[in-house]
Amino acid sequence: MTMDETDLRLDGNGVAGMLAEVFGFEMTVCWGCCAGCGASNQLGAMLVYAHGMGAVACCPACGQHLLRIARGEGRWWLDLRGLAWLQLDEQARMAG
Amino acid sequence: MGRLSWRLADVVEVRPETGRVVTLALAVPGWDGHRPGQHVDVRLTAEDGYQAERAYSIASAPDGSRVELAVERLEDGEVSPYLAGELRKGDQLELRGPVGGYFVWEPDRGGPLLLVGGGSGVVPLMAMLRQRAADGSNVPARLLYSSRDLEDVIFREELERLEAAGDGLTVTYALTRAQPAGWTGYARRVDAVMLEEVGWPPGERPLAYVCGPTRLVEAVAGHLVALGHDPSRVRTERFGPTGVP
Amino acid sequence: MSGFVSRGFKGRRRPAEQATRLPPGQYAERGFPVLSAGPTPRVDLADWRLKVEGLVARPQEWTWKEAQALPASSFEGDIHCVTRWSKLGTSFGGVSVDTLLEAAEPLPEASHVVAFCYGGYTTNLPLDDVQGGKAWVVWEHEDAPLPAEHGGPARLLVPHLYFWKSAKWLAGLRLLDHDAPGFWESLGYHNHGDPWREERYWGD
Repeated sequence: MTMDETDLRLDGNGVAGMLAEVFGFEMTVCWGCCAGCGASNQLGAMLVYAHGMGAVACCPACGQHLLRIARGEGRWWLDLRGLAWLQLDEQARMAG
Repeated sequence: MGRLSWRLADVVEVRPETGRVVTLALAVPGWDGHRPGQHVDVRLTAEDGYQAERAYSIASAPDGSRVELAVERLEDGEVSPYLAGELRKGDQLELRGPVGGYFVWEPDRGGPLLLVGGGSGVVPLMAMLRQRAADGSNVPARLLYSSRDLEDVIFREELERLEAAGDGLTVTYALTRAQPAGWTGYARRVDAVMLEEVGWPPGERPLAYVCGPTRLVEAVAGHLVALGHDPSRVRTERFGPTGVP
Repeated sequence: MSGFVSRGFKGRRRPAEQATRLPPGQYAERGFPVLSAGPTPRVDLADWRLKVEGLVARPQEWTWKEAQALPASSFEGDIHCVTRWSKLGTSFGGVSVDTLLEAAEPLPEASHVVAFCYGGYTTNLPLDDVQGGKAWVVWEHEDAPLPAEHGGPARLLVPHLYFWKSAKWLAGLRLLDHDAPGFWESLGYHNHGDPWREERYWGD
């Protein structure tokens, strides 16, 4: 089957598990502001390209990278430069 | 141990739904419950340490420590042929979750509710409808379910029962590849005309949840916005390239 | 959950008959997984250009037709992805990077290369790692045009390093006198990426 990025594109849900592990919050309901265009959205609305090396999450308004995350053995790397700010809601904190 | 850690679930039942789809009923010790629309990450480990991970939407409404997943077996899949072919009652399954609070609908969010699912994209929508029924809610709800053919429709009997309850749910199928003799329903992929006929006018401000293969989800979401629906009231869960109806 | 094994799970991998060809930690994969970190660029062949620029005596730019007319060179062998799959016995066709560099004439101070791509992807390499028959720009895979999801029209091919260095949708090579970490190298992946020394991540 031929496929292109259209097929592979996901929503913020596509990285929900990874982000929950890293942040300890249910991140898809948290808000982030794009450092590029200033649009604010819940992270669930991000457009995500994810695979074994890591994931890139893009602003649904302008397409710029909001965050990049890579996973290696026993560690994570995060590039959050695409976010002007990230709001972590206490209600979204995860037990455990 | 919480939602963030991998934990072992017991496979209590493996129940075929269609020729390609099985429901896995799992007992998850210490499960704190979940919300309709959320998913779990499932991880398989081979004897040599090789691992493969996939996300699966929870099909069941919250029910103590019991969680049901519905898995479609994909021809060239790596994980799904194992889950929907090899796994059996008494086995254990490693999972993490629930996660995905963004794609959640509960009756107290109100409606009217428009659910559009393609293929296995109906799974999280089913959790929403099961919760709606369990709560005795009559928030008006319309499910538009796109499937290859009638044999591939998952949860068909249950959807008929839910609709027959007369509490404001209607179910419409779009059968895209083959239709039974005498079929008078939609026989094509979901398009703007169909969404307009089946859904609510933008003035009703419905909450829309669209789930399934990425191509379908993006097309439907695009149509809904073009028809005048508020983008902030359209939530999507793209499944990627799998399960194309 | 160390120690747990999923009864009866084997995955898609081929049995270990080629184990000696596999770098440490790799598994043989029948298919050719698509790993995408962004939208697939759509490049019209009429607009496509391949550049060699930076610290070179003669910056070069080839159109598609001009590139096709360069002396053909092909690679047959194994490729290794840092996500642990290896594809054994595959083939690519295109032009040797040596041919491109010969035309451009690297200056003596050029020590590194950045491969830059349509869509913005970058990866960095020591110049040594793309010279001496170790690298190609390819537009054919197993005798068919390289599909867009695998980097077509053309990608860089550096099979002795992990496959993220074989940049898809290549637009050109820029020669530098310093190292400039690319997309994955600036996000925790190893700067060099030798699969035989398992150089997967920063700090390995």
